[in-house]
Amino acid sequence: MSGPEVFPLAQIPITSHAFNADRSQVAVSLNSKDVTIFARQGQEWKATETLSEHDKVITSIDWAPNSNRIVTASQDRNAYVWQQTSDPQTGNTIWKPTLVLLRINRAATYVKWSPNEDKFAVASGARAIAICSFDPEGDWWVSRLLKKPIRSTVLSVDWHPNNVLLAAGSADMKARVFSAFIKDVDKRPAPTVWGEKLPFNTICGEYTSPSGGWVHSVGFSPSGDVLAFASHDSSISIVYPGGPAMYTIKMPSLPLVTLTWTAEDSIVAAGHDCQPYVFAGNQGGWDLVGTLDDPHSQKSAAGGRSGFGGGSPVGRLNSAAFNTFRNADSRGISSLPGSPISPGSTESELFTVHQNTITTVRPYDGAPGAVTRVSTSGMDGKLVIWNVGSVTPINGVAGLTAKIAGLNLK
Amino acid sequence: MDVNFRKIDIDQYDEDVLNEEELYEPDRRDPSQVLNDTKAKSAAVRSALSKGDTVGALSTVLDQAPYGPNVEEAKNLNLQTLVSILNTTKATEIPGIVKALSTDAQDTLMKYLYKGMALPGWGDVSGSVLLGWHEKLTEAAGVGCIVRAMTDRRTV
Repeated sequence: MSGPEVFPLAQIPITSHAFNADRSQVAVSLNSKDVTIFARQGQEWKATETLSEHDKVITSIDWAPNSNRIVTASQDRNAYVWQQTSDPQTGNTIWKPTLVLLRINRAATYVKWSPNEDKFAVASGARAIAICSFDPEGDWWVSRLLKKPIRSTVLSVDWHPNNVLLAAGSADMKARVFSAFIKDVDKRPAPTVWGEKLPFNTICGEYTSPSGGWVHSVGFSPSGDVLAFASHDSSISIVYPGGPAMYTIKMPSLPLVTLTWTAEDSIVAAGHDCQPYVFAGNQGGWDLVGTLDDPHSQKSAAGGRSGFGGGSPVGRLNSAAFNTFRNADSRGISSLPGSPISPGSTESELFTVHQNTITTVRPYDGAPGAVTRVSTSGMDGKLVIWNVGSVTPINGVAGLTAKIAGLNLK
Repeated sequence: MDVNFRKIDIDQYDEDVLNEEELYEPDRRDPSQVLNDTKAKSAAVRSALSKGDTVGALSTVLDQAPYGPNVEEAKNLNLQTLVSILNTTKATEIPGIVKALSTDAQDTLMKYLYKGMALPGWGDVSGSVLLGWHEKLTEAAGVGCIVRAMTDRRTV
């Protein structure tokens, strides 16, 4: 198996990334109020277009593969749907924004197209989720709000494959499953494990991890019968509503903030630990099986990755971190992630491909339920594409914590 | 320094106010029942310790540890029992003991270590003993254990 493809897009954090259908372009937000579209040219990504309309930092981007529309959500409490049209004056193809009336009074935090691409859900800090659908008569996107019983900011949402049910993770420590049935858009859905009658705002389930913590990320399995959520207590929980069973895997590492299902029995999740973890299981139980980030193969193959602990012994007093602070103090050398690697600063690099928190993981290649590659982006400005098949087992808690030791002190 | 710059409790005018107790599962036991359970555990711990079974004693005291409001007496008693175990354990035995605990017990132990560090001079709490345990527990259970001690609203 080949190693991951690593693309340093910028030296600033990537808030969110979304690929188009054929993966030739990617829309990213570099922690700003603009969306930048990069087009792939061989082994490189070149910035081709900038979408500017938001007033404040963009929090989330989603690109509908079939209808080729981009939706963006921002802290300015707005969402825009971007569609490619030809400019009447020049004849060039441009991305035209359409404002969505969200009716929320706090920041929009997360946005996701429904599977049929006729609706999208916008999570917000206003303790509400806006379900937006297109009104052809008014020629605009209208929203209906899911409010009850959300008690705090909604951090993420995910659609069930039936286009009706919506999972939401929130800062009130709960993961919930709602019905987002819109009469004019949806046909009556077939009964699922989550319920039979599903008028708008039906609560089909409410779950919390035993140790609490904000729910950062939620995801339905490819079949839609299982729900996974990652929360800030460094755990990931997998819910079988028919069970009724919930499996919670407590991680010895830092919290996960994003997850995606790659198959009905497999999840890739990543977060503050800077590497994508793989979980596998079924109705009988779930386990952490390994990481996609293999420090050993990388070290020998790509010289770009520093040998963490390769030259200097890492003891209880982490010498790499110690040296970083000493260099910063005595020589004025700071080693920001993504800065050019000087001989003195390689010591402080992490052993992982990502040099900072991973904020987004998305399926990249393969049909739902048989995803072969995933893409991640994070605070280090890198975009990485991983082979789901090349999993490196983790040797128990000790192996994991020893690796993390460098991370804490960074 | 006067930190109460806001004299009016504005939350009382908010219908949607999120209360602390809505954030976690409450303990179903009655407060007096909790206290009796804790007393019984304290006795069980003493007999386990006399047999030299530190892992058993720790597991007992960390199981169903009192949390939430109205059980201050039980909380203090449980902390006292736990501290007596921590103080009597030899430093060389700690790594083996923390590895033998269940993950739930490890998380609860971490909560007590932080609680103990927040109460300097309380009873026979000793900072150096707590730090020794903290180091070994982090080696065994990882930083995730510390994260859970911080996020968990079921404070002991």
